[in-house]
Amino acid sequence: MSTQHQNSYMLLFRSDDWYEQLSYDEIRNVINQNHAWVEELIAQGKAKPGHALQHNGATVSGKNGSIVSDGPFAETKEAIGGYLILNVETLDQAIDIAKANPSLMYGGSIEVRPVAEECPLDVRARELAREQQLATA
Amino acid sequence: MLLFRGNDLRKGLSLEELQKVTDNWMAWFKRLTEEGKAVAGNPLEREGKIISGKDRIVSDGPFAESKETIGGYFLLNVPTLDEAIAIAKECPGLPYGIRVEVRPVAGECPIAAGLRTEAQFAQV
Repeated sequence: MSTQHQNSYMLLFRSDDWYEQLSYDEIRNVINQNHAWVEELIAQGKAKPGHALQHNGATVSGKNGSIVSDGPFAETKEAIGGYLILNVETLDQAIDIAKANPSLMYGGSIEVRPVAEECPLDVRARELAREQQLATA
Repeated sequence: MLLFRGNDLRKGLSLEELQKVTDNWMAWFKRLTEEGKAVAGNPLEREGKIISGKDRIVSDGPFAESKETIGGYFLLNVPTLDEAIAIAKECPGLPYGIRVEVRPVAGECPIAAGLRTEAQFAQV
């Protein structure tokens, strides 16, 4: 039985239009390399298939979600172009995988975030409840 | 996909508010899953790293304090953007400043799709 503890890490890809400066062949090449990079990770059991995100969409905000503003999202520097979920033991391993991503060669960035095992809000609520209990005991 | 952006809700909410938001959020996800409308979802820890550019520079992100930080996501399986937006409006974090980014998942990489279109025009 494996004693490894697999954690999940989310990779969030930001592309900031790095591809605008490249030729058709260069872009095609990077896409193929990226695809191969993802497929290899999936074959190794280190990633689950992720998704690219379309450049359109909406942002919902306000008390009752009454404010709906359109994208596009490709032009804002916080925009996410796609994601992948990794199954590896440590954040360092997730970082090493992210560093090997081919499209970074032309710019852009990858955010590496640990997936929380429990909802952090729930954890905090329980902590506060315990504190309150102790205070009134 | 729903991306939940905003400040850390653990700060500034009373115990009652925090419990209410948490219970409502978990019930919301449970209902969407039972209806077959949500296929995945996870909260993210407010920490991590950012890897940038060809030098692969690793930096700490502003995750703890930024209001742009993504705190979690849902992956929805619904036929239209409008339906995804309607679901996003139900987010229990909205009254507390959470913003929900709604993004269609691409069937193929949009950059690849753009290339194909260009190539088609070039051949004409």
